[in-house]
Amino acid sequence: MAAASSFPPLLPKVDAILVLDGDGNRLAGKYYGDFMKVATSSSSAESATADATNAVQSVEQLRSSFERQLQQKIGGIAARPDAAEVVTVLGKTAVFCGGRSPSQGGGQQQQRGGPGDVRVVHIGPPGESELVLAHLVEGMYEALSQLMGGATDRNMILDNLELVFLLIDEHCDGGIILETDGHKLASSVLLRDGHESRMGEGGMDGMGHHSQQQQQGGGGGPSMGGGGMGMGIGGIGGDMTIAQALIQARNQIISNLSQGG
Amino acid sequence: MGDQDDGGGGGGLTMNNLLSEVQNTLDKFKLEDDGPVNADYYSPYANLEKAAVLQEARCFHDPAAVRENPRKCCTVIAQLLHLTNTGQYLNSAEATDVFFGVTKLFMSDDASLRRMVYLFIKEVAETCNPDDVIIVTSSLTKDMTCDVDLYRANALRVLARIVDAAMLGAIERYVKQAVVDSSGQVSSAALVSATHLFEKNAESAAIVKRWISETTEATISPNEMVQFHAMQLLYQIKKSDRLGMQKLVTQFSQRNTLKSPLALVLLVRYTAKLLTDEVVEGRMTGNSFQNGSTFARSGYAFLEASLRHKSEMVVYEAAKAICALPNIEPQELTSAVNVLQQFLSSTKPTLRFASVKTISQVAASHPRLVSKCNEDLEALIADANRSIATLAITTLLKTGSENSIDRLLKQISVFLSEIPDEYKITIVRSLQRLCLTYPAKHRVLVGFLSNFLREEGGFDFKRSIVNSIVSLIKQVPETTESSLLHLCEFIEDCEFTMLSTQILHLLGELGPGTQAPARYIRFIYNRVILENSAVRAAAVAALSKFAARCPSLRTSIMTLLRRSLDDEDDETRDRASVAVSVLKDAMEEFPYVPPEEDAETEEEPKPDVPSAGDPAAFVLLQGLPMSFDRLDRSIRAYVKAPTAMESAEPLTFSALPIVEEHEEPESTTTDEIGGDAALLAAVAGEKEEKKEVVDPAAVVYAIPELASLGRVFRSSTPTALSEEETEYVVRCVKHIMPEHIILQFLIQNTVEDQRLVNCTVAVEGDSECFEVAGDVAAESIKYGETANAFTVITRNPDAALAPCNFECVLRFGVVQVDPKSGEDESDPFDEEYPLEELEISTSDFMAKVSVPDFRQAWEQVGNANEVLEKFALQFKKQDDAVAAVIDFLGMQPCDGTGHIKAGEGGKKPHMLHLSGVFVGGTNVLARAQVAASGDASGVLLKIAVRSDDPNVSRMVADCIR
Repeated sequence: MAAASSFPPLLPKVDAILVLDGDGNRLAGKYYGDFMKVATSSSSAESATADATNAVQSVEQLRSSFERQLQQKIGGIAARPDAAEVVTVLGKTAVFCGGRSPSQGGGQQQQRGGPGDVRVVHIGPPGESELVLAHLVEGMYEALSQLMGGATDRNMILDNLELVFLLIDEHCDGGIILETDGHKLASSVLLRDGHESRMGEGGMDGMGHHSQQQQQGGGGGPSMGGGGMGMGIGGIGGDMTIAQALIQARNQIISNLSQGG
Repeated sequence: MGDQDDGGGGGGLTMNNLLSEVQNTLDKFKLEDDGPVNADYYSPYANLEKAAVLQEARCFHDPAAVRENPRKCCTVIAQLLHLTNTGQYLNSAEATDVFFGVTKLFMSDDASLRRMVYLFIKEVAETCNPDDVIIVTSSLTKDMTCDVDLYRANALRVLARIVDAAMLGAIERYVKQAVVDSSGQVSSAALVSATHLFEKNAESAAIVKRWISETTEATISPNEMVQFHAMQLLYQIKKSDRLGMQKLVTQFSQRNTLKSPLALVLLVRYTAKLLTDEVVEGRMTGNSFQNGSTFARSGYAFLEASLRHKSEMVVYEAAKAICALPNIEPQELTSAVNVLQQFLSSTKPTLRFASVKTISQVAASHPRLVSKCNEDLEALIADANRSIATLAITTLLKTGSENSIDRLLKQISVFLSEIPDEYKITIVRSLQRLCLTYPAKHRVLVGFLSNFLREEGGFDFKRSIVNSIVSLIKQVPETTESSLLHLCEFIEDCEFTMLSTQILHLLGELGPGTQAPARYIRFIYNRVILENSAVRAAAVAALSKFAARCPSLRTSIMTLLRRSLDDEDDETRDRASVAVSVLKDAMEEFPYVPPEEDAETEEEPKPDVPSAGDPAAFVLLQGLPMSFDRLDRSIRAYVKAPTAMESAEPLTFSALPIVEEHEEPESTTTDEIGGDAALLAAVAGEKEEKKEVVDPAAVVYAIPELASLGRVFRSSTPTALSEEETEYVVRCVKHIMPEHIILQFLIQNTVEDQRLVNCTVAVEGDSECFEVAGDVAAESIKYGETANAFTVITRNPDAALAPCNFECVLRFGVVQVDPKSGEDESDPFDEEYPLEELEISTSDFMAKVSVPDFRQAWEQVGNANEVLEKFALQFKKQDDAVAAVIDFLGMQPCDGTGHIKAGEGGKKPHMLHLSGVFVGGTNVLARAQVAASGDASGVLLKIAVRSDDPNVSRMVADCIR
């Protein structure tokens, strides 16, 4: 019946995660599986003289043409960080957060905590629930703005690409959702998960480095945000340690009990 | 360029470098353009050159640099990743080189650096040689067993990418442990890795299956993501075990241990899948899930309960699942639709989008159920997200009642002008569907569509409107006149040649049949004056059709056509001159007498308005009775028959062989048929054939004695006369000729140490109309070979055809041979081998040939030789009965009546239209009504057969058994 085709995939997977700037340029992104690897009819003509280089080129062409179409649809829409917007592109569902609509002034960008122009887009197969995708994209966007000290604009992202790569990796592994909670994501990226002994230093290093970048890039405002963020994460890190300690203790007890029984 | 390509690997490298060089240069220019913005600071990722980064990457080999400056290494790795991210891929050699450098970085204890190393290995794992990648396994295994959760989690995920099944076996212990690790991060990483491994290959999957108890344990983890990942993996492991899955789903839905919304979403999906399988695989006994099997009941109850979950994600998933269940009753849908309706006014765009989408799907099957949401849907037309607005409109168009259409159209017209073409096309399609639902509203709707023809819009948008209008003309004939006029106005100012020609052709087809054909002439002639050559040619063709169909217009159209005689375009001029000369003859032969005008212009095609035999009508309206492709094939088949070229008879369409459709091989028809039947035969010859087939009759023509019998009318598909696995496999093809039947036996020898000689098949039957006349033996059949033996049966043309069974015996001589050398070892001795019976039925004499317009052909044959019969058939299902009737008669189903449409089965009587050509060239048409009888014991069949020959009609009707 008609219903069969609209069934969501039983193993929810993301086809692609993209971080696009206001003009639709890909700042960072990851395509999973075969999506945008198989040449569709439109591009087959171009890749007629297909050698290895061209094959690679045509994948890139496919992707950028897909991103152009995506940008056409999402270009005018700004999505709140906690309410993702949705469009369909080439039969795929694209859910995104962030972005600025053209009507908004440039001054907004400087506002602390105000949305930058960068959009985080999750592409899912047509049957995938938009709400699941929205849940993912909102989580990742939250983590991203934490990492960027609230200023998710193009320059900020470009200066801290390393963190964005790590974020995508912590968020999604080979298309399978790994973690959706924004705080946890941000903490893992900054290598703070309670094992502060060795990891903490690295994390602090990273943060300091980025705060500097912020000062240079975005003026005074964001750096305050960055400082605040560092505190926030530190606090959360502490919470997590306690929570984990409790869990560990509980598990210990359980295992002891089970051994005893 | 070509030289470089020939250079092989080296050349490729150069090419690659060259390309990246160009790319870099371009990037530089781009950067210089917006220089001022970037002048203040330096981004480590702007303006990257691959060669430079690769050079930088050499520092990985320097232990001191790695120890002292891990930050720099991080940046370099990130730069490498950024390169691949922006399309500057590393080639295999470069990737391997860098990869070895990166492996050195395991020396460093810096956490951030280690993290980047993991990331990089995953990234290049696909590009590098797997054998190279293996070398990091030991480092990773070490990390996997250390006490830092982050290391463990990440090392696991990297390992999963690179290990093969054998290595997985070696580290299985650690992964299993990690699945139940107290750290959520590690546990999740292990579960996700296992899910990937499961999909990777069967060997790895077998190992992962052994972790089922650990996975089950992980489902009760306090970490929500772990629950989710464990559910995912459990499903992977158990998915082929239906009962196991059902048990799993029931357990989890009742125990209520899953806290993670994502995990619950999964559970809802699995439940829906299992419920659907119950129905699809026919295990559902009742009509409703609530009184179905235990699982159906509990599964459905779980979905219902999930509608009240606190997470919107779960609620929506459940609502969507319920809406998608097959055979769901409307009352069971109500609660799901209520939930979706509430979502429509949510502040979250995704929630609105998802619920509109689902409601729109429900609207397709249960429009009434959804109509209560109309108010909320109308509010969404103003939604800022155009995708949502478009979906809302298309849904409204499905659910809207007849009297709300006008209001709706008003809203849409505002909306349409401000959205992109793509959305407009979707709306045009929904409008078309709406018009089919409410044909009475066609005037408003077609008017609405044509308004948009005149507005701005791209080719695809315009074409979709034209196509919609055209298909509406076909499906709702009342729209013809108004639509044609709208289209006429459109071509007055249409920039797309393709659309203009399409519309002109349509005008030529339909215009003359309307009340006042004359009014279209002006529009068409304007095209001749104003347009490019392709449109002019189309316009001239349309004009000549008007002239041919409406004698009253001929004089005036002649004047117009004459003006095109000196057109500069060849095609236009040719069409004009053909039309002018033919019309001139016709007007001389049948001068137009202008009496009561309205009496002549209202009928359908053919020689209606023009007098019978009018040459203009014949030439201009009739068209070629078969496609060029078909003509080509038929003539080839004609030439193949040996006697054809010596025949003194002129070659006519009716004399051409008939080529059957489907996989049915080509067959040939006889060459008599009177002149007046030309049209019918020509029509009958018109059908399509998709693939090239070898003429099965060619083997017959190859044997002179058989070829002299004449042309084969049709050849049947091979029927087996023995089991597939016996010593001698025999199949039979029946070649039907007007007065003979040639049985071709394909005999295959499967005995290794035998050679068969002088094989014949003795055929014996008791029938008045068939008599065995002779045979042609297969002389020698070696092991593994197949050879043909023929038996000729003559048919008494005076006796009525009746199905007849023949006893068949394979007679042959056996020569023992040495299987190795293939030499004969004995003299032949005679053997007999009994075969199954062969049946010759009436349907063997019928060629499957379809007619393009069944209704018209049916009327044309008339009921003079009609035979009506009623039968009660012992079939449980209508479908089976329909298939059997087609099989009995051996005729071609027309107009797609060969299958009962899904969803109609068993309710209404099914009308089956069949056509075919009987041996001797008689066209046969049949209408069969198949209805389920009241007591469900069988199927009632009413059949009417028409042809030019009462005997044939009778014989065909008697085919039903």
